[in-house]
Amino acid sequence: MTYKMMDGNLAAVEAMKMAKVQVVSAYPITPQSNIAEKLSDLVASGELKAEYIRVESEHSALSVATTAQLAGVRAATATASNGLALMHEVLGMTSGNRVPIVMPVVNRGVAAPWTLWCEHGDAMAERDMGWMQFYCENVQEVFDLILMAYKAAEDKDVLTPAMVCLDGFFLSHSMQKIVVPKQELVDNFIGGYKSQNTYLDTEDPMFICDLTGSEEYTEMKYQQKVAMDNAIGVIEQVQREFEERFGRKYSIVEGYRTEDADVVLVALGSMCGTGKHVVNKLREKGKKVGLAKVTVFRPFPAEKIREILSGTRCIGVFDRSAGIGGQGGPVWSEVCAAMKDISCDIRNYTGGLGGRDVSPDNIEKIFDELLEISQGKRKNHTAWIDLKENAMDIRQVIKNV
Amino acid sequence: MKEIRFYGVGGQGVVVAAKTFSVAVSIYENGYATTIPAYGHERRGAPVYADIVADNKPILKNCFLYELDGMMIMDDTLISKHISIEKFKNEDTFLVLNTNSCSIAEEYKNTYHFRNVYYVNATAGAIKHIGKPIPNSAMLGALAATGIVKIESIEQAIRETFGAKAGDCNAKAAREAYAQTTKI
Repeated sequence: MTYKMMDGNLAAVEAMKMAKVQVVSAYPITPQSNIAEKLSDLVASGELKAEYIRVESEHSALSVATTAQLAGVRAATATASNGLALMHEVLGMTSGNRVPIVMPVVNRGVAAPWTLWCEHGDAMAERDMGWMQFYCENVQEVFDLILMAYKAAEDKDVLTPAMVCLDGFFLSHSMQKIVVPKQELVDNFIGGYKSQNTYLDTEDPMFICDLTGSEEYTEMKYQQKVAMDNAIGVIEQVQREFEERFGRKYSIVEGYRTEDADVVLVALGSMCGTGKHVVNKLREKGKKVGLAKVTVFRPFPAEKIREILSGTRCIGVFDRSAGIGGQGGPVWSEVCAAMKDISCDIRNYTGGLGGRDVSPDNIEKIFDELLEISQGKRKNHTAWIDLKENAMDIRQVIKNV
Repeated sequence: MKEIRFYGVGGQGVVVAAKTFSVAVSIYENGYATTIPAYGHERRGAPVYADIVADNKPILKNCFLYELDGMMIMDDTLISKHISIEKFKNEDTFLVLNTNSCSIAEEYKNTYHFRNVYYVNATAGAIKHIGKPIPNSAMLGALAATGIVKIESIEQAIRETFGAKAGDCNAKAAREAYAQTTKI
């Protein structure tokens, strides 16, 4: 087996290269920049036989990628943070026109306050735009989930684009040891690309994205909804096939030591690794805790969540996005909806915003709170788990008051 | 599992050293090493650091480091730059220091209460072998002298990182520093 040292950005590029993308239009933004740069290097050197189209913004980047893919090739782009926000309008074009692009999103908070650093607020803001969303725990998962995303997105029953979300810096800039398979294995797994249903071909002209009246719009949205519903089964099938071919097991939600757990924390992204580390540490102390890692957030795997959590009476959900104005973060809301007919206590935790570390100490603090709640020793939980005590004094301007 | 931090100033190759060390452990010793990026302060001359977790099995943790097994300091003036290293160490944390002075090494040992300090004049070695005062490769040799990684793995990783020509002189700097490192 060949091991390589790669950071998350390079692993994303490697996967897109091995998927043989033929058009690239990426606009650099921290912490995604070296995806755009490395793809450019590969095209310049001839290692990747693709057209690299320089664009002036993320809006154009995704417009070019979407229309290029309609012409019958895999197209590549990638973004982060405000770049993803600028793509917002085009995200709907990609998904609504059923173009199965796979796009790495390097998670970074959306300004303001300006931040370069990790949180899931950028991707969560786009969770209802009709794209699938995969979240990666480590660099190997960045590579593997991108390959699986191509296969799932391009399935005839899905035809839905996918974001593969990797935590800014914690994954994008972390060098880790990964297995990179032979090109032949990847070719056999995902195959070549062929446009289905919607395509641009001068020999066979088609009008795409025309004005759609109310007599058809609902049905076209329903088709997207059905495609998302189909995606759950398709992704699970793709994960099984991936395991057979590559030997690494994946699940849409991974239960880690959850079977006999008194309390379970639901999380996603790179914090799941630290979470598992803490679970192992607390298990050694006799505390029965577990972690549920949400790998696929869109479509939301409600049935799998119920399967993993149904025996647990006290559950915490860690959102790495603020969910301002909601009753809790977006992952918490989804988990609550999935568990609405099952008697349990689901607590919302928010943290790790704008690059703040999701530390082992804070995860341990959450587990300890959940254990106390489950034992009836405690009522309230610390929803903003890593908040400083002087939160309301920060940057308060006292002039003119 | 070992948690290690490389301290230095921008321009000394701290980040490259961390990547090279992670290659040495992961590729040449069949272990696992993850670098944790310390982002936002890549400025020449300003204090920088890079964190690495190394283990003989896959690493789960993906967060900042709070209690270090080892520290490497590439610039011995760090002690005067108000960098708080004390809160990240315990009584067993070792230090690998780049200095030309035994008394400075003693000062670090006594001020911060390190049990073991390994020191070498890595800057001199770098000037001798690569013609530039970039001590990162030599310091990796000194790190090998602690026994945490084999010098042969460091040499191979350096050749992989720096390429054939620069790799050879950097590997020589590492090998010589490895032999010259003093433990107090």
